[in-house]
Amino acid sequence: MSFAASEIHLAFKAGRAFRREGTNVVECNPTKGAIYLSNGDDGLLHFIWKNRDTNDIEEDLILFPTDATFTKVEQSPSGRVHVLKFSSSNQRHFFWFQDADASRDAEFTQNLNGLLQDPDYDVQWRIPIERVDRVDPIGSSGGTITAFRPSTSSSRPTDIVVPSSNPATQEQLQTLQRILTGMRSQAPPPSDVSLSDILTPANLTPLFANHPELIPTLFPHLPADLPVPPSAEALQQIIRSPQFRAAVSNFDQALRTGMLGGIVTTLGLPEEAGTGVVAFLRAIQQQADRERERENQMDTD
Amino acid sequence: MSVDDETSGWQLTESDPGVFTELLKSLGVPMIVDDLYSLDADSLAALQPLRALIFLFKWIPTTSDNEPSQKAGTSDPDFAGFFAHQVVNNACATLAVLNALGNIPSLQTGPQLSELLQFSTGMDPQTRGLVITGSDWLREMHNALSPPSAFSLDGLGLPKKTEDAYHFVVYTPIMGSVYELDGLKPHAIRHGAFEESGEGWLKVAREAIEARISTYPVGSLEFSLLALRDDPLPSLQTQLEHYQTVGDSASAGDVLSKIANENSKRERWAFENSLRRHNHIGLVQALLLALAKSGKLAPAEEVARKAMKERIEQRKARGEDMDED
Repeated sequence: MSFAASEIHLAFKAGRAFRREGTNVVECNPTKGAIYLSNGDDGLLHFIWKNRDTNDIEEDLILFPTDATFTKVEQSPSGRVHVLKFSSSNQRHFFWFQDADASRDAEFTQNLNGLLQDPDYDVQWRIPIERVDRVDPIGSSGGTITAFRPSTSSSRPTDIVVPSSNPATQEQLQTLQRILTGMRSQAPPPSDVSLSDILTPANLTPLFANHPELIPTLFPHLPADLPVPPSAEALQQIIRSPQFRAAVSNFDQALRTGMLGGIVTTLGLPEEAGTGVVAFLRAIQQQADRERERENQMDTD
Repeated sequence: MSVDDETSGWQLTESDPGVFTELLKSLGVPMIVDDLYSLDADSLAALQPLRALIFLFKWIPTTSDNEPSQKAGTSDPDFAGFFAHQVVNNACATLAVLNALGNIPSLQTGPQLSELLQFSTGMDPQTRGLVITGSDWLREMHNALSPPSAFSLDGLGLPKKTEDAYHFVVYTPIMGSVYELDGLKPHAIRHGAFEESGEGWLKVAREAIEARISTYPVGSLEFSLLALRDDPLPSLQTQLEHYQTVGDSASAGDVLSKIANENSKRERWAFENSLRRHNHIGLVQALLLALAKSGKLAPAEEVARKAMKERIEQRKARGEDMDED
């Protein structure tokens, strides 16, 4: 299941814990993770554990209302180990809160249980709204660009903030954002590569210099309402602009989700190119090889 | 209050003077927004006539968990001017501009804004906020400078680029007093009366802003200031004609260079705004393809891979770990 079309109710940092075989000892696994409670595309309530190092969803449990409870393991010395129990089976899943600050564990537990009982439960946060940070990401006047548009129609908590009357929504959003931001700051796999590091002025400037014939072919890709005539200088300016850099970075981030199959086909690339940055680059290289072959054939004809 | 489709659809925009100025143009208001780098009297005087200051800040939690309490100013529940609450996320920049514009006497505006201001007269701040954010035409103007929807990356579960928590507060003179209008506060806040002479309202506003900045622990506040001002070009044009008529070529030269600066700033804004509206994916693909055809993609990828690896190692070396936050 993906988060794509889902609605996240709640999220917090938590790791998994496992019972040592044959004993009652529960050991906390140090892997960093997060628990999400979300409405899946299937309309069912999903309890998800995501690994914050790899970003992989390693646990995805479908829960039916009133079937599960999330309770503190009283024997745990830290007081932070909790267990997800089911009334329909004797499955047990152990988790431990990983946020450096333990003061909100009880609050998360209470809201999580409220939602497990009734998916329409109104989550309650005791943090007063006055203190809640704004979440409208705007660049400073220096011109940092914002990343993604919020959805226009879904009811994900990121869409709407109603500060005066709905602290929960904003708080959820804040929590979610903290976690997602944290995930992003996690080291990606070492093999990873970023489009932002490829489309640099250092790589592009020599390309323009060595292939001046290329420049006019790029003009159709420039904004139609550019207030200056398209030129090599304008192109240089664009590839250095924060707006272009942000667009590259956004596209790079979007490719990492592996869900751009639909978008890349509109670029004439195979759907597979939308599964990641490396896959996208490979598809581009293949396209280049094909075009070069065709050009060579035409030359020899 | 539940999540309401009617109030969504506001896209993220940059809080850049060029973006604000474009919005004012769409609203039919002959004003511009400029960056303000200093609150000193001379910097402010150079931008007169100044209509409002927009204080944009991000508060970074440091050791203490609470935003410093603000003692300055008095909450004014009977405020009779224009004040709207912020009821939708992402609209805060536009809302701040409206809170400022709504209080400017005999404001010249386009028909839509003038109708909206008239329609919302006498409404309480919450209702007014809902009316504003429910205006399709306003949302369209606001959204016009966001990346195009053709390549909307919505719904991919992507983290926001920034969790930066910005907040907009307007300081503006209304009926003889300086008011602070903060769409997240229940009421307008009055900062006291001002003298018309000398620096006028800006003196009171500066003191209020400086006092506010000083209540935050050092390093816990990032902020910028924007100035909402009359478009200087028409008056510069009049001055130029005057100096040319009286034959004062030195003063005319001064004015000409001011006009040239103003125009080059507008050209820069127009350029940046066209890049903001543009979908760059086609260019990205074309550039990568060109690199690939010239055999430079693979080496560039190799270098990029190394750069990423180094970045990760540096991050590890700095011990960046969100669990110790």
